[in-house]
Amino acid sequence: MTSLVSGQARPSALSTPAVRQILRRNSYAAVPLALLIVLFVVNAAVQPQFLAQQNWATSMSVLCPTVLTAMAVTLPVLSGNGGIDLSVGPLAGFMSVLISTVLVPAGITSPLTVIPIVVVFGLLSGAINGLLVAYVRLPAIIATLGMYLFYDGLGTEVLPQAGGSVPVWLVKLNGSVGPIPAVWVVFAVIALLWTLVSRGSYMRNLLAVGGDERAAYTAGVNVARLRLVTYSFGGLLACLGGLMLTGLIQGGDGTVGPPYTISAITAVALGGISLAGGRGGLLGGALGGGVLFLIQELLTDAHVSVYQVSVVDGIILIGALALNGTVEHLRRRSSASRR
Amino acid sequence: MSSVDEASRLVIEGLSRSFGETRALNSATLRVCPSEIHSLVGENGSGKSTLIKILSGVLRPDSGTLIWEGEVKQLTSPRSAQGMGVATVFQETLIVPEMTVRDNIYLGTDRLFRYGHRKGEEIAGARQALTDLGLDGLDLDQPMWTLSLAERQLTTVARAIIRPWRLLVLDEATSALDAQQRDRLFDYLRLARSQGKSILFTSHRMDEVLGLADRITVLRQGATVATMGASEASRRGILGHMSGREAHADADVVAETTPRHNGEQQHSSQPRPVLRVEELTLRAAAKPISVDVRAGEILGLAGLEGQGQVGFVECLCGLRRPVDGRVLALGDGGQSHTVRSYRGANRLGIRYVPRDRRYEGLFGPLSVFDNFAITLWSDLSRFGLLKRRQARKSFAAFAASSRLVSASPRRPISILSGGNQQKVLLGRWIAMRPRVLVVNDPLRGVDHNTKEELYGLFRRLADDGVAIIFLSTEIAELLTLTDQIAVFHEGSLVAVLPTEMSSDTDVVAAMFGDDKRHGGADD
Repeated sequence: MTSLVSGQARPSALSTPAVRQILRRNSYAAVPLALLIVLFVVNAAVQPQFLAQQNWATSMSVLCPTVLTAMAVTLPVLSGNGGIDLSVGPLAGFMSVLISTVLVPAGITSPLTVIPIVVVFGLLSGAINGLLVAYVRLPAIIATLGMYLFYDGLGTEVLPQAGGSVPVWLVKLNGSVGPIPAVWVVFAVIALLWTLVSRGSYMRNLLAVGGDERAAYTAGVNVARLRLVTYSFGGLLACLGGLMLTGLIQGGDGTVGPPYTISAITAVALGGISLAGGRGGLLGGALGGGVLFLIQELLTDAHVSVYQVSVVDGIILIGALALNGTVEHLRRRSSASRR
Repeated sequence: MSSVDEASRLVIEGLSRSFGETRALNSATLRVCPSEIHSLVGENGSGKSTLIKILSGVLRPDSGTLIWEGEVKQLTSPRSAQGMGVATVFQETLIVPEMTVRDNIYLGTDRLFRYGHRKGEEIAGARQALTDLGLDGLDLDQPMWTLSLAERQLTTVARAIIRPWRLLVLDEATSALDAQQRDRLFDYLRLARSQGKSILFTSHRMDEVLGLADRITVLRQGATVATMGASEASRRGILGHMSGREAHADADVVAETTPRHNGEQQHSSQPRPVLRVEELTLRAAAKPISVDVRAGEILGLAGLEGQGQVGFVECLCGLRRPVDGRVLALGDGGQSHTVRSYRGANRLGIRYVPRDRRYEGLFGPLSVFDNFAITLWSDLSRFGLLKRRQARKSFAAFAASSRLVSASPRRPISILSGGNQQKVLLGRWIAMRPRVLVVNDPLRGVDHNTKEELYGLFRRLADDGVAIIFLSTEIAELLTLTDQIAVFHEGSLVAVLPTEMSSDTDVVAAMFGDDKRHGGADD
């Protein structure tokens, strides 16, 4: 674990410049990755059925909305200045309501129409957050809390309990394609798209704005527009999470979304992402979501009650933040002493 | 040299900008020609920074015109200024600490999204810019926070010069550099001038202004009061224009005579030492340092960038552990205590004023008064209740004695000028009645008048028996203020020069490791 964190300085077999740069860029993810592996092994040891193929597909589809909403929160957090998006949970939940009570009854069931609608809806609702934060200059935590309440209320008003129907393909997305869980395909598509996005200058601009807004602005970065785009991407990921959630619960439910906000923020902290912004990446949110899921698996296996799980979640959130701070401190000190 | 006859590259006319009640710029004018190095001088609060922020697109003017190469322009963002051909290095070293040197240099050159592989181009460009500035060995992939202050500042210069600029604006861009680095930068600027480019710079070092500029524009209270060729300008004349008081030009002379007198007085009575450094080793290969600092003495610390003087200061106040040796605080009754931690040093009356006020000293959103009083509360409180009245009295006394200029002590400290912020920061520690005051380059980026006031403040403190250890990057300042100058080279103390018997050249010689005056250094 330690060697991964400070590994970038030591020349080794993996010291071609390209590899070194990838390691350096993602060094923040070393701790969550190690945690993920350890938890995976523990889970496999404790629960014999954990590695069974049928369980894989189920686990992955339960995990999927958590990971996507965590990634959705990651982007605003990276953009700094107290950036966060609390609305991701209710927004994801509202997707299930939108699909099952508006789109399906109106005969819109084809993936070729549903997916674009979800994408546009996600970008627009993210853009509302972005406008409020970057142009109206509201604190992100307040602006997105407002949007949280808005989608929560709207979803519950339309569909106070589970109901409605969903297209078949959406349910299949939570099954398996041959031996491979279909969710993996979804993840692979997102990973591919994100790799394309971050090959350009967007990621550098994002980390610069999160790292020191004034430096970025005076150097010529359009800070406000970058935040607008970043929150839009966040909204998009949240709505994709909502799409997967709709398939998972096989219907609409106005009350299913809100808890995802809390799990997403916990996952971001577990993913080694600085809540101050400027350090981390989308991978961190995904890893953090995985870690959180594996912890909850263990707790469920040990027949811990839902309320106790919530207590544990709180402790994990605080512990993860403290761990982030400590790892950061050690990293700086070891680098400083090398100089 | 300067070619005023050619069409001007930049013409600014009637430029005004107010912040609330304050008129920062009041119909200022400026003309910059191609192939010219132009210096903008003025005291703090004269409008230099505001003018530069407008020129670089950070601020919008209330009125006035900006004509760039014959065309009237409206700048809406730093990006638009850069697109026009103006590259700016700001007074504050604006960097992104987590990002690499290369990313910091190429920051903002892209649009929000940009594709196409430019990595090789960036590496070559960054390498070239850093070589031009004398930072050949810097690893482009190391994160920015691992760099020294001087390296950071040069990296922000590199960020400006990799852009296609025709006017380079440097706002106090040499404040953290040592003499060698500065000369290297100036060589680069002269080369750029010979290629037809224009440079506009501000500096509080008069020798830089006179040595580098072709023409000088003086601002006072937001208005342009004079533009002159550097060959016809004198130090005294410029100071006169800046202050609007002719008598002011004699300040240097007065300043030079006072401390000598003071120093003699202190030496004749030989007051007790209050701080003893015993066999202190700063780094592996360095010689151990032993030195005594007496009550009422002002000991100057000099050296080129990174020669150990900053580490020495940090050892004195417990922020850093030396490789070997120790620092002793000596009490009145002959008892001695080793400095082991920053808190411990504070308890022993050793107070430290750090170098970077924005990050290490001030609480930006808090008021002037709160910034001043923050260190007092531990003494001025009973059962957790604060004795505000007493603190206010102490603030009033400080404000009067230091001639603090502030609209109201309740306003946030961030609205004060750099010089006034520094006064508050110093006042905070002075109010604690230190035995030893350790100051790390406190007058960086402070205007001439404020400097004079602060010199007076330091001298009064010394007269009251406070030992002052004064690290400075300006030799002239050390010669003006101190009793002795300790010079560092490669982690060792190579000379302790009595100020009244030393010249500029002696100090520079010692800084470059010239050992002639080594006698008596290690005592």
